[in-house]
Amino acid sequence: MTATAAPGPLLRVRGVHRRFGAGPSAVHALRDISFDVAAGTMVALVGRSGSGKTSLLNVIGGLDRPDAGTVLIDGSEVTALDDDGLSRLRREKVAYVFQTFGLIPVLSAAENVGAPLRLARVPRAEREARVELLLALVGLADHAQQRPGELSGGQQQRVAIARALAASPRLLIADEPTGQLDAETGLSVMALLRAVVESEGVTALVSTHDAVMIGLADRVLRIHDGHIDEVASPC
Amino acid sequence: MLKLLARRVVAQWQLLAAVLAVVTIGTTLLGICALLVTRTPQRAVEAALSRAGPHDVDVTAYAATVRGPDVRSVAADTRQVLTSALAPFDATTTARASTVVRSLPSGGDVPVETYLSSVEGLPDHARLTAGRWPRSTVDTAHPATPLEAVVLEPTARLLGLAPGSVVHLGPELYGNPGAPLDVTIVGIVNPLPGTGWDRDPLAASGYDLAYRDGRSMQPVHAYGPFLVDFADLLAGGCTIDRFEVTAHPDLSAPSARDLDAVSRAVLGADRRLAPALDGSVDNENVVSRLPSTVRNAREQQQVAAATVLTIAALVGVLGAAALALAVRLTASVRTGETALLSALGVSRTQFAVSTAVEAGVIAALAAVCAVPASSALYAGLTRLPLMARAGLAVRPGLTGTQVLFVAGGAIALAALLAVLALRPAPVVHDRWHPGTLARSGADLLLVAFAAAGWWQLRAQPSDPSYRGDTVRVLAPVLLLVAGATVVLRLVPPALRGADRLARRGRGLVIPLAAFEAARRPRAVAAGLLICLACAAATFGVAFHATWLRSQRDQADLAVGTDLALSLATPPVAGQGAVVGTATGGIVSPAVDRGIAVGQWLGGVGDPPRLVAIDTGRAGALLRGRIDDGRAWAQVGAALTPPDRVTGLAVPMEAPLSLTGTATGATVLAVTPRLVLQDATGLRTSCTGEPVPLDGRAHPLEQCATATGLRLVAVSLAFSVDPAGTGNSRVAVALTVPAADADGDGAASASPWTATSAEPAAEALADPAVTVTNAGGSTRLEMTTTVQLDAAPDAARNLIATAFPAPGPVPIAVSTRFADAAGVHRGSRLSLTVGTTPVPVSVADVVPTVPSAVGAAAVLADLDTLSRALILSGALEIPTDAYWVGDPRTGATARATALRVGTVTTRAGEAARRSGDPLHAALPAALWLLVAAAAVLLIAGVVLHVSCDMQLRAVEVARLRGLGMSRRQIRTTLLLQHAGIMVPMLAAGAAVGALATRLAGPLLVRSDTGAAPVPVPLASWPWLSEAALLAVLLAACTLAVAAVVTVEARRADAAHLRVAS
Repeated sequence: MTATAAPGPLLRVRGVHRRFGAGPSAVHALRDISFDVAAGTMVALVGRSGSGKTSLLNVIGGLDRPDAGTVLIDGSEVTALDDDGLSRLRREKVAYVFQTFGLIPVLSAAENVGAPLRLARVPRAEREARVELLLALVGLADHAQQRPGELSGGQQQRVAIARALAASPRLLIADEPTGQLDAETGLSVMALLRAVVESEGVTALVSTHDAVMIGLADRVLRIHDGHIDEVASPC
Repeated sequence: MLKLLARRVVAQWQLLAAVLAVVTIGTTLLGICALLVTRTPQRAVEAALSRAGPHDVDVTAYAATVRGPDVRSVAADTRQVLTSALAPFDATTTARASTVVRSLPSGGDVPVETYLSSVEGLPDHARLTAGRWPRSTVDTAHPATPLEAVVLEPTARLLGLAPGSVVHLGPELYGNPGAPLDVTIVGIVNPLPGTGWDRDPLAASGYDLAYRDGRSMQPVHAYGPFLVDFADLLAGGCTIDRFEVTAHPDLSAPSARDLDAVSRAVLGADRRLAPALDGSVDNENVVSRLPSTVRNAREQQQVAAATVLTIAALVGVLGAAALALAVRLTASVRTGETALLSALGVSRTQFAVSTAVEAGVIAALAAVCAVPASSALYAGLTRLPLMARAGLAVRPGLTGTQVLFVAGGAIALAALLAVLALRPAPVVHDRWHPGTLARSGADLLLVAFAAAGWWQLRAQPSDPSYRGDTVRVLAPVLLLVAGATVVLRLVPPALRGADRLARRGRGLVIPLAAFEAARRPRAVAAGLLICLACAAATFGVAFHATWLRSQRDQADLAVGTDLALSLATPPVAGQGAVVGTATGGIVSPAVDRGIAVGQWLGGVGDPPRLVAIDTGRAGALLRGRIDDGRAWAQVGAALTPPDRVTGLAVPMEAPLSLTGTATGATVLAVTPRLVLQDATGLRTSCTGEPVPLDGRAHPLEQCATATGLRLVAVSLAFSVDPAGTGNSRVAVALTVPAADADGDGAASASPWTATSAEPAAEALADPAVTVTNAGGSTRLEMTTTVQLDAAPDAARNLIATAFPAPGPVPIAVSTRFADAAGVHRGSRLSLTVGTTPVPVSVADVVPTVPSAVGAAAVLADLDTLSRALILSGALEIPTDAYWVGDPRTGATARATALRVGTVTTRAGEAARRSGDPLHAALPAALWLLVAAAAVLLIAGVVLHVSCDMQLRAVEVARLRGLGMSRRQIRTTLLLQHAGIMVPMLAAGAAVGALATRLAGPLLVRSDTGAAPVPVPLASWPWLSEAALLAVLLAACTLAVAAVVTVEARRADAAHLRVAS
């Protein structure tokens, strides 16, 4: 399976280093990471627990700052942005899907999906229409008023995906989106992600252990001991 | 398990430190309250007694008729009994004595008598105007040396004495006659006011031309005393008629226990004195106000202590609420950990043990810190200006009760901590559910208890015997707690309304704050503490204002006017004008004394009272709120006579003369008494020597001793030869020189009338008076027909007045008087003023009469009253004080400098009622309540927000992932907490206001424990309350902002890594 790729890489990572702690007990989570991701593709980031997947995704998404290196997303140098710039980046270009879903517990599914649109101060009517569309896209139109605590794991992850798509991001970062789900549910979520990449033209960077997920990706990058290797395309 | 516990303590040291802080604050406050309730009352009684005046603490022993040879031993034994009764306090003694009367040579028919007297420390009781003080002749080598003495000025003037004069005193006139005495006058003195001269047989007037010595009905001329050295009096062998020794205890540093012991000893001193004197005297007794002063101080303390106990209970409840919040928050933070341990197999017993150990350690640490902290803070509290001025400042120290309270409080709080921690973790509902209180209906039950408590408070007895009970202590606490819990029911609907509004909004920051506030189950966790603390703080401020206002109102009525000058001696002519000049205010002479109403004398120590002033100026003179909303000017208007008395102007030092003629052969004489009035309405009488009606002008005793006096009445008492028969037509003319070139001696505006006074009015017929001006003087000519056949001792008294008979004197009576005497408006009755019955009619009924609070009292116009008295023949118009309205600045000092009596001001009385040792503890306790509420409120808010942020760290990090900036996240969190905090503060203020309105006035009692008069009014000091709320809001907002900023900064990728 190959998605139609937009011209030029959407994501450019060059020489990123990240260390936690200092001295002998310091942990080098990322060592000289460099790679590109073309627009409109789905890249799987694989590795053992503690290999640095989440650290890399946080650096790319601007939630963390590397000790060295640069990250460019759609021409914007993420590593050079200040706090407000990073927040704007996450509002406009980058969206997150967390392993533990990351939904706001007190908001309903519809309100969670609408949160990015509220941040962008989209008018109410337009916001509600887009939320309805996205919930239908993920198959949860009938669960719009339910709170995360009233949804299953898979349903919550779908809401999370819908929320991530709400502001039409360029890059979707998913950190082990199926980690808390059973195999069947995880498969449906992965299929949804793949469908979203293809239908919305979103570029997805997904960290996963899941072999099925790996099979659905256009590229696989393996991270090991802070280093990244390219694995042969699954297709 | 213990190792795990230790590691958990290290890992969660901040959380546990917060819990420890709350427990420590709570127990420290309990310790301070314990000291306020136990140590402060003791110190207050000690401080109050150390400031008590001599009148309230001196002990005086009186002995009557001490035989000459026994005088020395009686003096020594009496001193010994008194000083031993006052042990362990040091005491000095002073004595005074006066002998039985002796005869003086006289050139007339009327006997002349005198007596010796002595006062220890005479220079402190009188002022030398000529000569020197007498020296003792006891130890001289010549026992026959005449005694040395000084005399009062009037005595010297009338007897023609000067330093060097020798006076021969005859033998004693009863008892053992003894030998005559020669006394050498060495000096002339004037008595100093307020130094006990009221106990002199002639009240330091120096003479009495109508003195009754008790031996016969016939009055005599009495002069004296002859003041000799005290040692001479003791050794002189004279029979002492009156002997008194006063012991002055030094109470500068008393202890409460010693005060109680001395009270008991003084009460029994009477029984010890009689055997000590062993029949040397005819009569003896010991009198002292010291036991009642101590008792009153203790009773006042009990009244204040009941309210302080209420405040202490409030502080305790606040501490418990803060601790309950801390425990709930701790449990919520540990929910996951608890579930994990439970899953790993930790049993409930192990949980209980670990929780108990942790709670016990916290309690022990808190108690160890709280004991010295409460001592230090209590000592600091007593050094605040109010307490320090009241003499309540103490050094830090420990008491058993304090340690008990702290330890008990720590154990109780730790038990609460353990019990709440062991409760099953509350189910965290995704959707809002009512809290425990609302679910159980406990809040409504609290409201029912609070209503019952308030009803009981309202129904508390109004009499002084009521000393309060548990209901009185708990009712205000219940009101505040119930109010705060009911508010919790009202907040969620309001938040849901905000939620609905937020859904319509466009942005995320504010709507998310509204959603979080309305929907998070623990969002209002601190609501009860915030509301209750704010309610307690605002109640404390408002109750303080209510209490202060009531003290001022009570002081206004207790004093009755702005400045009251209570006279120590009868007034002299023109004194009112002097007082007016000194004070610069509106002055009125005043009567304020007990009276009899028919046969009714009232209770023991509680006779009916008479207050009489110039009611035409009642609005300017009388102070004190009338509960029915009227003004004193309205009340006074009904009592004021329609016309003012003008009389005849009498220039200062004008030579007055009396000329009288009588028909028939019987020799008649008349004793004139003139009533003079000054500008303030003060009426004084001046008695002249008997004047024979021989047609010659006889100069009168110098009466016009001040400027601005006017003659308003003349009394002529006729003395008749007992052998006379038939009638005699008499004409007596009083000549008053004109004032000055202005010719102010014109006839008075009001006509003069003449009457024959009771009880033998028929002894004089056809009384008449005319006023004529002639040759620069005014003649007041009085005529009547004297019935010579009337009984020899019948009083023949012609009274000419510049006013007509007033009829029944209109009075206003207090409600208590009306109830006790069974009178109402229009009722007529008779009051006995002194020994003179005065007919009165009730014109008004008022709740209370100024200066006679709570008493059965009447208010009358002094002018009208004195008119009635004069026409009854009582020319000594009672004057007990001067009341001054609107005095100038510095009036108190100037009035005191006149040395005519004691000055009391309503401002001073208000200051005493709010700031003296027996009252200062209450405001201090209220400040403690406000401070405690503020500290616990802020601590609770910080704890709540900190725990909330800890629990939501991951969520906050994910909001960052969503694209919210740190500033937006801070704003959302701040708005969320403020959205709950601000309404809860406002609701707390409303609950505090309601509690003040309902319970504040009911908590105020008078010094005796009775319901105060006037009824207290709830006070809400807007400015102070606004400032308090602003401070609380600002402090809480700053605290929340600080915590939110710190925690939001910490919520970063590390939390996302942990979460993942």
